[in-house]
Amino acid sequence: MANKEYKPEFSGTVTKYVFVESPDTTPQQLAIKAYEISKGVMIKETCFGLQVTGEPSEVTNLINELRKTDPAHIFVKDRGFPPGDPRRCRANLGGARPGYYGHEFEMGLIRFVSRGLLKMNAGEKAEAAIIETIKRREKSQLSLERLLKTINSEEP
Amino acid sequence: MSKVFIYPSTSLILSDMVERFGHEPLGVAIAIRERIQTPGLDSPPLQMTPEDPKKGLKYAAVEVPSGVRGRMALFGPLIEEAEAAIIINDSDLAFGCMGCSRTNELVKFSVRQRKEIPVLDLNYPSDEEEGLAFVQSIKEFLDSLTKKSGDRKEV
Amino acid sequence: MNGEQPVRVAQLSCGPEHSGVQKEIYEAAAMVNAEMFFPDVALADIKKAYLDFGLEAKSADLKLAIARAKALVDGSVEADAVFIATCFRCSEAAIVRNELRRYILNNSSLPVVSYSFTERTKAGTLLTRMEALTTIAKRRALLAREKQVGLTLGVDSGSSTTKAVVMKNDEIIGTGWTPTTGVIDSAETVITSALEEAGIKLSEIEAIGTTGYGRYLIGDKFKADLIQEELTVNSKGAVYLAGQQHGEATVIDIGGMDNKAISVQDGIPGTFTMGGICAGASGRFLEMTAKRLGIEITELGPLAMEGFSKNVPMNSYCIVFGTQSLVNALAEGHSKADVAAAACRSVAEQVFEQQLQEVDIKEPVIMVGGTSLIEGLVREMGRLLQTEIVVPPYSQFIGSVGSALLSSGFIGDK
Repeated sequence: MANKEYKPEFSGTVTKYVFVESPDTTPQQLAIKAYEISKGVMIKETCFGLQVTGEPSEVTNLINELRKTDPAHIFVKDRGFPPGDPRRCRANLGGARPGYYGHEFEMGLIRFVSRGLLKMNAGEKAEAAIIETIKRREKSQLSLERLLKTINSEEP
Repeated sequence: MSKVFIYPSTSLILSDMVERFGHEPLGVAIAIRERIQTPGLDSPPLQMTPEDPKKGLKYAAVEVPSGVRGRMALFGPLIEEAEAAIIINDSDLAFGCMGCSRTNELVKFSVRQRKEIPVLDLNYPSDEEEGLAFVQSIKEFLDSLTKKSGDRKEV
Repeated sequence: MNGEQPVRVAQLSCGPEHSGVQKEIYEAAAMVNAEMFFPDVALADIKKAYLDFGLEAKSADLKLAIARAKALVDGSVEADAVFIATCFRCSEAAIVRNELRRYILNNSSLPVVSYSFTERTKAGTLLTRMEALTTIAKRRALLAREKQVGLTLGVDSGSSTTKAVVMKNDEIIGTGWTPTTGVIDSAETVITSALEEAGIKLSEIEAIGTTGYGRYLIGDKFKADLIQEELTVNSKGAVYLAGQQHGEATVIDIGGMDNKAISVQDGIPGTFTMGGICAGASGRFLEMTAKRLGIEITELGPLAMEGFSKNVPMNSYCIVFGTQSLVNALAEGHSKADVAAAACRSVAEQVFEQQLQEVDIKEPVIMVGGTSLIEGLVREMGRLLQTEIVVPPYSQFIGSVGSALLSSGFIGDK
């Protein structure tokens, strides 16, 4: 039971997830674009998009370029582990790592964020009442007015 | 550019928003990366060792469960480093590093104890209108940080 | 066990990664050819399972554990055994841990062990539990043995004492007993006396089994055929000696360092707990009491039988506090007999409160191990459980008898 020494790989690099949830861009298209401009950044394709690993500045440049292709539908997040790390691999754990479920949850409502970004970029302003609801510390209750509006906006 | 602590600290959406609008998100991935990239004793899966709950004693007393103290060893330094924070209050389904409710209560409290830093409270959007309000609130909050740090530079 | 398929142990947990002890869990599993895995569920399953189960835990990782437990019970994920682990001192997790253990035991045939860890938990501590879990999951054939055959030797290297027995054709023909000093030296001593009493040479022995804390060391030294943790060995030995090999039984072994409570069905352990928060709940406290009263440990039982435990307040939740109340009671002029009885009651209460709550008590209740010879302790345990406790003959040699019995299954292999 001697304690093994741990020698990290990928020291000094950063890894980021690039999620794409778009009607216009598939993960494959995003990957092709990334390979074109990668310049030494390591790219791993996944079902939701990409994982990119490299020097911090190179990763930032790559991500800035990728974002331009579909700004409202590409989302980026830091990852602690390098890609394909056996400690986080589904095959080794028998099931998804816990963080996966958190992503699954947020990806379930990311379309609202995408729409919000598009609306904001189109110059729309949110209603004060809705801003108040979204900023409320207590879990918000749907107001009657908004409930009616939602019902009426549903197609028959 | 300000360092913005995000809660849930594993949030893809918040991490993205902060970076997208030109600031540095302080999420738990940063703390995990530091451990993964530091040589030491091999301690899979997270490279967290029994030293972490001991480091966590700075944030929670010894009678607090080891998992809370270990998690606080990840979050504590990030909260100390933060210049602002965004908290999503209805984030019940964040797992792993955010999977312990007791820790999460302490994390939020620790953020609010730093009274000098601005904090934006939000809920997840549940439709497009809220999506707009959500994004707009974050942008305005982050822009105000830029202004403030800009003001300081001018002084 | 080389070449065997690893035993797949499903892990339901909250906190081991962040406590820095997940590695210890992996190590303990690897030592007994087990493989930990996390049952795969989807986010929708988590929400549904959590609502169906009905326990309103707030922590998401506990919700995930509930969903994983449901996947195991529903059969959508297959496993050989289940390991439930949460942080020590977390009440939310303790409630979930206990309810999940009960849920899995009542609704599946999977063996379960639950444990609450601290950052100090080491693989060695988890090993015995993990070994018992894998044995129950994969080696049922071994545990089915009801008769000892041939000439076998069983050695139990415990934390306080080392014991050995020689068995021949289902009978005990020699025993040896000594306080544990050096693990190997003590084993050699007891083996020598057991062999002498039996009139047998070591070379004539057909199979050897070892158990207890020193099992690996002495197993290696004497080339044992069976090296097995004490949970399964003791429960097997207990039902064998008590003549209760069929049906239900509960085995209680209050040891020198930790206690075991095992619920047994047809000689095979079902649920078990092992541990105890402090030596105040173990035989060690009774040893200290005897010392303080200026008597031998063998005299403590009869003395306690003469006393009334209720006359002296004593709580050995912690051995230091227990000792304080012991000193106070004597200073207040209580009789030695009452103090001895109170010490027995206190240990019985601690075992009852800390461990027996996690095991379904089914009659007969069999007490084994050296402490089962302390009549006062047996009486107090019987009072708490409101049952007549069975103490089989040779109960102090339980581990050795279990080892000698089970190792006879290996005679044909040579």
